Amino acid sequence: MRWRYILQAVGILTLFLGLTMLLPLGVSLYFKDSSIAPITKSLLITILSGGCMFFVFRCPQTEYMSQREGMAIVAVGWTVVGLFGALPFFFSEHFLTFTDAFFESVSGFTTTGASVLTNIEATPEGLLLWRSFIQWLGGMGIIVLSIAILPFLGVGGMQLYKAEVPTPVPDKLKPRIRDTAMTLWKVYGAMTIIETILLVIGGMSFFDALCHTFTTLPTGGFSTKNTSVAHFDSAYIDSVIILFMVAAGINFSLHYQMLKGKPLIMWRDSECRFYLATVCILTLIVSVNIYGNGYGQLGRALRDGAFQVVSILTTTGFATADYETWPAMSQIILLLCMFLGASAGSTGGGMKCLRIMLYFKYCYKELFSLIHPHAVRHVKIGGKAIPSDVMRSVLGFLGLYMGLFAFCTVLLAALDVDFVTSFAAVAACIGNIGPGFGTVGPVENFANIPILGKWLLAWCMLLGRLEIYTVIIFLVPEFWRK
Amino acid sequence: MKVVIVGAGEVGFHIASRLAFENKNVVVIDKDPNAIRRISDNIDAQVIVGTGSSPIVLEEAGIKEAEILLAVTDSDETNLVACLTADILSPATRKLARVRNADFDNYHETLRENAPHIDTIINPEIEVVKTIDRLMSVPGAVDVGEFADGRIKFIGIRLDEGSRLAGLRLSKLPSIISESRPLIAAIIRNEELIIPHGDSRVLPGDLIYFICEESNLADTLELFNKYADPLKRLIIVGGGRIGYRLAAQFENRSVHTKLIEKDAARCSQLAEKLNRTVVIHGDGSDQELLAEENIQDADVVIPLTKDEETNILVSLLAKKMGARKAIARINKFSYFPLMSTIGLDQIVSPRLSAINTILQHVRRGKVLSAISIKGEQAEVLEALALETSDIVGKPLKNVGMPKGSILIGILRQDTVMIPSGNSVIEPGDRIVLFARREAVPKIEKILAVKLEFF
Repeated sequence: MRWRYILQAVGILTLFLGLTMLLPLGVSLYFKDSSIAPITKSLLITILSGGCMFFVFRCPQTEYMSQREGMAIVAVGWTVVGLFGALPFFFSEHFLTFTDAFFESVSGFTTTGASVLTNIEATPEGLLLWRSFIQWLGGMGIIVLSIAILPFLGVGGMQLYKAEVPTPVPDKLKPRIRDTAMTLWKVYGAMTIIETILLVIGGMSFFDALCHTFTTLPTGGFSTKNTSVAHFDSAYIDSVIILFMVAAGINFSLHYQMLKGKPLIMWRDSECRFYLATVCILTLIVSVNIYGNGYGQLGRALRDGAFQVVSILTTTGFATADYETWPAMSQIILLLCMFLGASAGSTGGGMKCLRIMLYFKYCYKELFSLIHPHAVRHVKIGGKAIPSDVMRSVLGFLGLYMGLFAFCTVLLAALDVDFVTSFAAVAACIGNIGPGFGTVGPVENFANIPILGKWLLAWCMLLGRLEIYTVIIFLVPEFWRK
Repeated sequence: MKVVIVGAGEVGFHIASRLAFENKNVVVIDKDPNAIRRISDNIDAQVIVGTGSSPIVLEEAGIKEAEILLAVTDSDETNLVACLTADILSPATRKLARVRNADFDNYHETLRENAPHIDTIINPEIEVVKTIDRLMSVPGAVDVGEFADGRIKFIGIRLDEGSRLAGLRLSKLPSIISESRPLIAAIIRNEELIIPHGDSRVLPGDLIYFICEESNLADTLELFNKYADPLKRLIIVGGGRIGYRLAAQFENRSVHTKLIEKDAARCSQLAEKLNRTVVIHGDGSDQELLAEENIQDADVVIPLTKDEETNILVSLLAKKMGARKAIARINKFSYFPLMSTIGLDQIVSPRLSAINTILQHVRRGKVLSAISIKGEQAEVLEALALETSDIVGKPLKNVGMPKGSILIGILRQDTVMIPSGNSVIEPGDRIVLFARREAVPKIEKILAVKLEFF
């Protein structure tokens, strides 16, 4: 472990983060709101700290980065980015403590969307944009972005990429990691432009359209309105957002291949098929379930049912209805969606469809071999056998995910949070969804969680976003052994 | 530039790592998932698990956009079929194949002109025999490269305690030797590559790389306290394909060659094919056998068995028993840094030879030959100075050479010049450059960037 090298990379990342603050600064100057001073202050502090860090720890370029160092850069980098990203919130009067600001910032970068803001509409535009913008940065991965546009990370690019975008079966679109990162960001950018235009056509102001796009595509879920997307109450806006949430939950390399002239790729990819089928089936079940219970019109039931299911399943966290008033069956389905999550390689969180698919196929294989003890049978995805070490890592992931979920729930309950809330808050944070149930439901927020609980939940969000291993590895004593 | 490499063995791995380091788009295909894992863990390249000779796999690797296909698996047949398939799918792709079977030796031309259209066939065994031959021709040399058809030699020699150069500053060099002095391109000290300035010193124990003209070679070697000895007695240990090739080559020269081989059946085969070589059946690491065969009088002992540990031990044993020189075949790259510590400077590796030859063909522009030196830290390139290149037509002191590179020789028609700040490169000159690995892409650029106008 070369800590100098790691801190130098983190320094550059911080410097880069400081530069991205120019965008909210521009917005606050345009609206002449009260966030000019806090943002300017944070921008200067971030750039200066990043510069100092880079200068103090600068070291000659190396040709090699170990997987461990890659993981350390990503984990330390995300924590530091979370801290500096909290500065604009902290310097404004809308956040009472640094804990609140940090929680909001990490919730942003990890695309969780859990908020402590009670009156969002009173917050100045500059801050609201920053809040949405950090979700956009975090969605595709701020480190993947740096790999794409900063040449210095060429050497360890692969290690960093694997630590930030851990998929069970990694796929590289282009031979070089920089080109791959660049391609993903281009697809992401193109989708951003299209959605913004579509939302503006639907009657949103440009600012609202941009902010909502910035939080739809990374499946983030921050809104600029107190009542989230329900504020607009438009079937058109709902359907545009549903469409883009679904798209954001699909593996981005499939989007790229589709644009490259393979229109049927989404249907041929078994994970994508599974994901789309899940979206449709759950939407139908929930809509039918709520149609008889409280919803008079089938159309309305379908619209709200689809929005809520997609929003939770893709781990976005927008809301157009208070699902806590829905029948228990729908609530439980939504709760399970929090664990399922979107596709691997998408911007969504959760356990990911691919892992669940692999898990079920593995279970079936175990049953099968009880019936035919001598049979040779592989777990296959799309006709290809999955190597047993990949399968092991998937099982390890699922076990750790559930274990950490249980552990954090107990910790949160120990801080005097009620039963349903502690259960749902941890599920919503570790899955990067945002709203949960109980006092953190879709119409409430996380302001009432105790301070220690906020730090715990922020850690859960990082765990979920970096898919457990990159974060948890720091707690393994072997990691620190020379 | 996109390069598809079939085969993720040692050769494939090292070429992929070199090319990826130079920001080329590399796709590696191998059927062994573990070999592929080693690539994807260490190298910024795309990987595909599959057979490189399969059209589906080659299509998936994007052979149609690829500029070069390198078929370097262990199997000749796979390599040939991969080239054939690629030729059908994408005739424009240049193809290089590693083919080891000696039966193909006389058919390289045929395969270039006919069906698979393989631009270059590389036989690492031929390359190794060439390397051994070069090493033997220069006493004391650790590394010998040839440029300009052998007229310029690029030589690596370890500096002895007793040499006149030991401890000298390079700026003092003219006071020791008046004319045709060697140009020192690089010094390797404690495994670290140094590009020397005028006030750098050369110390005993340094590995010194220099350029000199063939005609001055003997004088230059004298500076290093090395004297050419006639080669009379040669002992080769290991009668594999390389051992056989080497022995066969020395049959025509008046060198007394002994070839020791363990396997009795192979010995009788060798004895049948070789006429003047003495084929000995026995274990090359057996002291008694070596003593019996007068190893103390041998000029050179060359252990070439498949087992590198044996080769190392035989070399050390032979040196201890009085042989003057040993050249060992070593395949594991991880052993290279240890060699000078053990006291074995002269080593050959079929893989390194293959890598060098392949790189030479991959280089862009008008690069005529390329040699990589110890540990792949640097490379020597011979190139044609094009009229359109940035380095032509002005004094060298005004040419912005990339950091970590120096120009070490200019060839104009039949004269060889060691350049100074006032030398001017003319179009059509051949130039020899030394470059650290980091500088290679920039060098390629200044040599070739304007070529793309055509």
